[in-house]
Amino acid sequence: MVDFIKRDSSDLFKNPVFAFLFKNSRFLLMLRVAAAALFFYAIYYGFAHPGKENIFTGAVFWGVFWALFMVVTLSTFGRLFCGICPHGFLGKYITKLGLKKSMPKWMRNRYIGITLLVLGWWGIYYTFDGFWKSPFNTALMFGAMTLFAFILYYLYKEMSYCKYICPIGTLTRAYDKISFTKLETYTDACKDCRTFECAAACEYNLKPFTFAKKNQTDDCTLCMDCAASCEAVKFKITKPAEQLSSKLKILSAEVWTYILIFASIPVSMGFAHALNRSNIADAFIWNRTAAFFGMGDYAGGFAFLYAIIISVFFAVFGLYLASKVLKKEYSSTFTTLGVAFIPLFIFASLGHTLEMFFVKEYQTIVHGFAQGFGLNIEVEALAKRGDGWLHYFKLFKWIGVIWALVILYKRIKLIDATKFRKVLGYFFASSMILFYIGLNLYTGYVFSAYGAKSGGHGAHGSHGGKPDYRDAYPKEAAEPQKGGYLQTPIDPGEPFYFSLSDPSMKQNSRSGHGFGGGRPGSKKEVPTQSIWLVYGAMNDKKRYRSSTLDIFYYGLNRQEKPIIEKSSRGKKVLSFEVPHNGYYNLFAVDESQKGSEKFYKVAKLEYLRGMHGAEGKYDPKIKKALHQNRTKIDLVRLKDKDETSFFYKHSMGDTLTFQALFENRPLANAEVEIALQSGWTKALKTDSDGFVSIQLIRDYFPDWNTFDKRFKQEMLITLKHQKAGTHYLLTYPASYYPNSNDYQSYGYALLLITLTLLIAGIIIYRFRRNRTTPFREVTVDAED
Amino acid sequence: MQKIKKMINNMNLQKVRFIIQLFSFILFVYGGYFAIDLGSKLPIFACPYNGEAAGACYLIPLQHQLSMPAQILLGGAGIAVITGLLGFLFWFIFLNKAWCGYVCPFGTLQDWLTYLRKRMGIRYSTYSQNQFDKLSKIKYIFLVIVILFPLLMGVGLLGGEWSAAFCQMCPARIISPALSGDFSQWTIDFSSKTAMVLTALGMLFAGLFFAGSFVKKRFFCFFCPMSALHYIFSKFSIVQLRKEGSKCTRCGDCYAVCDMQIKDIADNVTDVNILRDDCILCLKCVAACPEDDALHFDILKFRAFSSTKEGFEKRMGIGRPKGIDDEH
Repeated sequence: MVDFIKRDSSDLFKNPVFAFLFKNSRFLLMLRVAAAALFFYAIYYGFAHPGKENIFTGAVFWGVFWALFMVVTLSTFGRLFCGICPHGFLGKYITKLGLKKSMPKWMRNRYIGITLLVLGWWGIYYTFDGFWKSPFNTALMFGAMTLFAFILYYLYKEMSYCKYICPIGTLTRAYDKISFTKLETYTDACKDCRTFECAAACEYNLKPFTFAKKNQTDDCTLCMDCAASCEAVKFKITKPAEQLSSKLKILSAEVWTYILIFASIPVSMGFAHALNRSNIADAFIWNRTAAFFGMGDYAGGFAFLYAIIISVFFAVFGLYLASKVLKKEYSSTFTTLGVAFIPLFIFASLGHTLEMFFVKEYQTIVHGFAQGFGLNIEVEALAKRGDGWLHYFKLFKWIGVIWALVILYKRIKLIDATKFRKVLGYFFASSMILFYIGLNLYTGYVFSAYGAKSGGHGAHGSHGGKPDYRDAYPKEAAEPQKGGYLQTPIDPGEPFYFSLSDPSMKQNSRSGHGFGGGRPGSKKEVPTQSIWLVYGAMNDKKRYRSSTLDIFYYGLNRQEKPIIEKSSRGKKVLSFEVPHNGYYNLFAVDESQKGSEKFYKVAKLEYLRGMHGAEGKYDPKIKKALHQNRTKIDLVRLKDKDETSFFYKHSMGDTLTFQALFENRPLANAEVEIALQSGWTKALKTDSDGFVSIQLIRDYFPDWNTFDKRFKQEMLITLKHQKAGTHYLLTYPASYYPNSNDYQSYGYALLLITLTLLIAGIIIYRFRRNRTTPFREVTVDAED
Repeated sequence: MQKIKKMINNMNLQKVRFIIQLFSFILFVYGGYFAIDLGSKLPIFACPYNGEAAGACYLIPLQHQLSMPAQILLGGAGIAVITGLLGFLFWFIFLNKAWCGYVCPFGTLQDWLTYLRKRMGIRYSTYSQNQFDKLSKIKYIFLVIVILFPLLMGVGLLGGEWSAAFCQMCPARIISPALSGDFSQWTIDFSSKTAMVLTALGMLFAGLFFAGSFVKKRFFCFFCPMSALHYIFSKFSIVQLRKEGSKCTRCGDCYAVCDMQIKDIADNVTDVNILRDDCILCLKCVAACPEDDALHFDILKFRAFSSTKEGFEKRMGIGRPKGIDDEH
């Protein structure tokens, strides 16, 4: 036994934080007790609430334990899952009390566990859709397995259940080889050891002091009992899957695990979920076979069966041909090269699990735990399906594929054969990997060529038992319509205008700084802009309602399109699509009559969309004024020559020039009124060609402390015309901002930079003159 | 293969570097005229205030993303920060700090000011080792400003006028647009006290930039927060500058040519990875090293450019060796 050791920097136990997390026996005990408590509580909860309203049991077993925790830890730290597994934790105490018999030979067969997992879990998962979604089934299965496990722990010694019967025992043993940690000992210290505390402490009857030499850790579950017994035990950080670049003993059961799990998860999912969602799902062989037997409801099971058959065929036949080409025994080739399949499942699953975590599981887990512990927590999912960044997770499976090919290359180097045979053998041995590449490319092709079935992704419930919590709550009653209807009728002569802000919301003059504009969202979503039709003073806008409204707009292609009122969060909102940067011209026409007087009112809005991050260059051609025939009266703004970007804003002091048109002919001598939000108004008349110029005045004089350069002055221009007893009225709202010349100074800036240059120049000059030591210019880089 | 390698090792580095710098300067100052857009995650000072730049400096989106209100930042939008960083790293890993020495238009501008000074026959300045050690830390202060100020804005401790505070101070904001004829940044913003101080500092730094980089090689790179950000990730890059201490005779040529005055390049004979935080990976040290393979520029494990006796002599204009190396 060693009491003290100088730990390497690659030893995780050297770091006090990691030493606490992985080695501190009190902390580990607490962790295991907590995990066991959670485990039994979730089983109890499953029996107590067997219906779909129970989301806690599913959240514990299918949200946290399986998939998320398992996949993430297996690919990083190794078999941590086993380290805190409640079965193993309690099993140790049961074994101590128990009969300690030897397990009979027929039971000491690792294929038992794998078969249980593949057929018992995944077979049922695919065949009986939604079987594991039921909390009752979940609780029953875990309850039964726990009872079964405890009986075997009681009967047999050396934790034989974990080694042979546990459905995920062999799986974790097999996949733990890809992690970047390894438990072993300081062999120099072990040389003199004659007491072997580590082996004595191990409930699994393993010999930790041999792990370094063996280059693998057998059935070690990282329970860290050995680490507590002797300081010479270390938890080493290695390169990921480093073990696999040199020789080690691999059981054929482990290779079978790689093949069968690969078939049951990535391939079966590809068949039963991905391809079955395409438009040509019925043409696939598993669906046809199911139809042939008249078992269409169990088509998933057939997909699973075919996935197993095809994967096993490619793996076994490929490795068999490789063994023939390499002139080696089949069984040794099988274990030496088959280990290269490790990353295929683990990375495909890691990508999928993480993606699902952000899209859905995070919410399910939090809500589930909130239900289980009676907390009142509501969270949003971390991401929406279709968010751009989620595509990064799709890369994981390709990382897996590439890594599998790299490992295969490293493994084949260990085999003694000629170069030509190795190249050929590599090709055959990689046939299962090539099949997987093909499957992925084919899936992509099917979806791009034939498209997805309508009905969306909803049918696919990820890894089993996750009932949709949303069903548990009644839908919120739609928000009742507020206001607007009961007010006094609007006078027909009252002008109305477009507003970019909701009149029912109290808002300050300051335009908030928008966030997220730079991030292009899902490609499918076209951005929209909401608008409101209002009347009254600009400081007190009221919603304008009329049954005779005609609203339409002209987009970048100058084609007319209607604007339709849509419901959003219980409110009716007008919105139009703004897919690209540029000018949008909106019109609303309302005709009405009051006695003998007719009113023809137009509200116009010229909207300039300028979003950062949106593609497109400002082309001066888009400045050309838009002329249209739909409205009888129009006011067209002539764009300024300084207007050269999508982010252009009018500012104080600018002059806006308009041309008033009536039936597309210049309208001379018409009344134009300008009103500012601040209350200032001015009346003008158009000239003989219908032109009118409006200077934007500065009506904003705050103190320096309260000055806001983003102050938005709203303005409304009204054009009036009368002809044949009809009042023609057009409104054109605009807004402008303080002129940058009002607060930015070129003069001071130039003064400052000149002074800086001058002072710096003088200082450098003086400093150099006062220098007494001779200066030696280095000429090494002076090549000319 | 051997021939190509020899050719590369014997190349006239200065000429090659000048051509690459000229090309990337045109690209990142005037690229907009050719409708090139390389996104906003570039690890160089390609300033987006200059509307014609073919891409934008990563510090802009970084500051904007971090200044989102805290609840938005923590509620999923923080993922955008991570993807932004990944975008930055994507560019960065290919060139490591060579982005500074070969691509950054702001660095190139300083090199050209140095050429100008040389033409005018004015000698250059250096820092003493003591000054060097102190000044070298300033870039980390700037990096903290880049990261911390937006975060403080996000939690509401600082107002909107602090938005992109570093950009307000950055001389590249003032000088880059001027290169394409836009002088609208040459102002002091009096709209608020904060804006006034920040933009005045910007003008001050721009003045110091001209004065400093005229007499001191790569004056600004010393204070550049981008350089600090690079250094944090430089280990992950596929290109590295490595030194074999056993072959080093400590002649000091590499230190003498170093624009950044990195002493370790000559003094340190134990570290293999000799890339320091100030390094701009201009490779002058490799070109100036007279020892075979003492310094080498590696792409992964492949030696793309190594110091050789022959290359050194060729660059120095010395004839074929006549036992000269033994006397050294």
